[in-house]
Amino acid sequence: MTTIKFTVNGQAQSLDIDPTTPLLWTLRDHLQMTGTKFGCGIGMCGACTVHLNGNATRSCLIPVQAVDGADIATIEGLSESGDHILQKLWVELNVPQCGYCQSGVLMAAADLLKRIPNPSDEEIDANISNICRCGTYPRIREGIRRAAQEMGA
Amino acid sequence: MTQMKMSRRKFLITSATVAGGLSLQLVPIDAMAATGKNGGQRDSALSPWLTIQADDTIIVTVPTPEIGNGASTQQAMNIAEELACDWQRVNVEFASFSREYKQPGSYAVGMQPFFGGHSTDHERMPYTMQLGASARERLKLAAAQRWNVSITEIEARNSVLKHLPSGRTLRFGEVAAEAASVVLESEPSLKPQSEWTLLGKTKPHKVQLPKVVNGSAKYGVDVTRPGMVYAALRQSPVHGGLLKSHDPEAVLSMPGVRAVVVIDPSATPGSPVDASPTFGFEGSECRSGVAVIADHYWQAKKALDALPVEWDDGLGAFWNSDEKIHERQDRILDRWAGAPLTKSGNVDTVKAAKTIEATYRTPFCEHATMEPLNGTALYTEDSLELWHSTQDMQQAFWVAVDESGVHPDRVTIHQTMVGGGFGRRVIGDDVRAVVAVARQYPGVPVKVIWSREETTQQGAYRTQLAARFRAGLNEQGMLESLEGETCFSGMALNLGFTDMAYAFSGAIPNVRLAASNLPMHIATGAYRAPCYNAHAFTVETFIDECAVAGGIDPLEYRLKLLADWDPAWSHCLKLAAERAGWGKPLPKGQGRGIAISNWPHSGEKQAGATVCAVAHVEVSQEGKLTVHSIDFTFDCGRTVNLDAVLAQLEGGIIFGLNMSLNEGLTIVDGAVVESNFDRYPMLKMADIPEIKIHLEALSGHDRFAIIGEAPVGPIGPAIGNAIYQAIGKRVRSTPFRKQDLSWS
Repeated sequence: MTTIKFTVNGQAQSLDIDPTTPLLWTLRDHLQMTGTKFGCGIGMCGACTVHLNGNATRSCLIPVQAVDGADIATIEGLSESGDHILQKLWVELNVPQCGYCQSGVLMAAADLLKRIPNPSDEEIDANISNICRCGTYPRIREGIRRAAQEMGA
Repeated sequence: MTQMKMSRRKFLITSATVAGGLSLQLVPIDAMAATGKNGGQRDSALSPWLTIQADDTIIVTVPTPEIGNGASTQQAMNIAEELACDWQRVNVEFASFSREYKQPGSYAVGMQPFFGGHSTDHERMPYTMQLGASARERLKLAAAQRWNVSITEIEARNSVLKHLPSGRTLRFGEVAAEAASVVLESEPSLKPQSEWTLLGKTKPHKVQLPKVVNGSAKYGVDVTRPGMVYAALRQSPVHGGLLKSHDPEAVLSMPGVRAVVVIDPSATPGSPVDASPTFGFEGSECRSGVAVIADHYWQAKKALDALPVEWDDGLGAFWNSDEKIHERQDRILDRWAGAPLTKSGNVDTVKAAKTIEATYRTPFCEHATMEPLNGTALYTEDSLELWHSTQDMQQAFWVAVDESGVHPDRVTIHQTMVGGGFGRRVIGDDVRAVVAVARQYPGVPVKVIWSREETTQQGAYRTQLAARFRAGLNEQGMLESLEGETCFSGMALNLGFTDMAYAFSGAIPNVRLAASNLPMHIATGAYRAPCYNAHAFTVETFIDECAVAGGIDPLEYRLKLLADWDPAWSHCLKLAAERAGWGKPLPKGQGRGIAISNWPHSGEKQAGATVCAVAHVEVSQEGKLTVHSIDFTFDCGRTVNLDAVLAQLEGGIIFGLNMSLNEGLTIVDGAVVESNFDRYPMLKMADIPEIKIHLEALSGHDRFAIIGEAPVGPIGPAIGNAIYQAIGKRVRSTPFRKQDLSWS
């Protein structure tokens, strides 16, 4: 057990924890923040995407010892009341189906728009590598395009 | 029709006051008269379908799990259509099968036979709409009594009751409690479809989405209980194998580890009463294995990884390779001795101008739901509480009873959100494993989580199958005879094969379709459009081969074969072809292919959802396949929520793409080789072709056919047929990524 300190959505956290515990399970089991999802455990599906010091990161591969002192943002902190432009558009455009992967998709998309405010289709393809088994990709693309338009307007 | 169904099923709508509001239940008359079935006691507690609270909140209770298809939203829409309420105030909660058990008929009778399936079914609509109408009339009557006016002077709209002559208004919530005690002289009749304002007119998003996008939606794996512990499990890699040995001492001292338990299929206590699982218990049996229980999941997983385990593979190890499976299948098919399923004319006496024969194969496929298998259970000596992301609560309930041995009166099940179903969470083998683990750690809630690897290798897969066809063509190139035999392992459904439209359209005088079985040890089960998902490929590829052999354009060939069939099929074919530019020249290495299929139609016209796809593909000389576009047409009769239908079509098309391009499990020494997305690839954003769904082939026929499964079918064969047009190579098995498509 090691004491690890970091912030999650702006709140300071201090945990006595097995330092090899992935950030994903730290959030889910130790902090009961279950919005970040377990999908594959090998960093491929992206369901566990969070922002680590502002950058989209797959939390299933990051041992918690690596985030000592870091700032983490999760889906629960993407906006104060679920009104991030992507969250609003995701509802309006009926993007999610089962919805399980969408926390991760939203965190990846929010990061993309922060870095590239008006991404091309190729940039969307290159940056959104999350897996959605329900096949919501066309609507994810539409949601990102619309968000880019509305943010630019 | 609506009224007939209601009266034939003899339902009563009863009301009650709940927390200052109105609550309505559907109660079957025969169930009121009878003592509870299943040995259950009659129970006076409420099983509300619809509750209107004093603050105007409307709660619709839904027995259908929400697997992402919008089933719960659809039921709420059906009720809201007649209720004249503010859609923004509508909330959805899941019914518990425990209530159904204690008060038989509360949710299941007269609706669907099980707590799964499709709430959009035409048959379910009248009941739910009647609930809305009944509530509306009760609210109007309560307002009329309060104002001492005639009910005919009151209008209900947007959750407000208005006395038209005076303009006075009351909110639904203000009279909800009074509405619970008014007596209707008779149940109101339903609006004709022409007066619908919500169904078919609006396309609301799924009601649960605000919770999905802020991370607060609770899926099974998100269930958190006070004092909960976690379990990680490993089951015999060869299905049907047994745990030979393990060494708990090696891990019991690891941090957080509480126990190591064995999952023993022979230890199932059995249900203390006659059980009525929706699909029976076959396929839900425990798989021999071992689980580590710890304070946290990561501790359980680490200990499980460190646990020495030996397996006795059992007979399944006989199947040492896919080649062996194929070779045994061919031996069976060579005999052409399968049990005949469909027969007309006499295929043996046909003198064909040309005969063609081909064999097609589709492999085992894993559902790969994004939420790995999991479940949470709290077992005590005389009770069981289960939280589960099941697709069928009735099945899950009875499996839980059977595996706990607890009397169903004391088994409570909680439906959670479902992170993908596709048929994987139906049979309840996952429920059984959860209960088998929790039963050995009583008094403490245990959350059991399958790793992705365990989820993949302990699937209940789409069965692998082979289909062989033999056709006799006449001088004009058309089919004089068609013989087919499918050899499958597992579920004997044969949908999409025995009911293929070509066998029923009357265009082929001599038809014989048969099935044979290759028993294997590998667990199989429902997978988005069972059997059809494979046979849409085998049938539509063979018909394409017949067209080529007959020297007739594949589109024209299908139109001829279906000339006397449901005309919507021809409309779908023509529209998809036209929109895709059928017949326009393409550069070398590019091609278009077409395919059409329907789910589910059982050989009937104007039934199910007819779906047609034209794929435009390009194949490089090195054999790299690119799907440029899919033009897609469909006929499900009519739609009640067009956007929900389009979402299912988009998802189904992409599911069909992935299934055909990527999916296929490899069997070595009886075990599944693939374990995670690195070797079982999923399409991503960058891989999705342009998908163009055209609406104009919708026939308007009076049915709202289910739509989630059909679109999976025609995608693979359309691509395969396009590959043939592009490079002249006929692809007879999936996944296409494993085929050699190089050309020169």
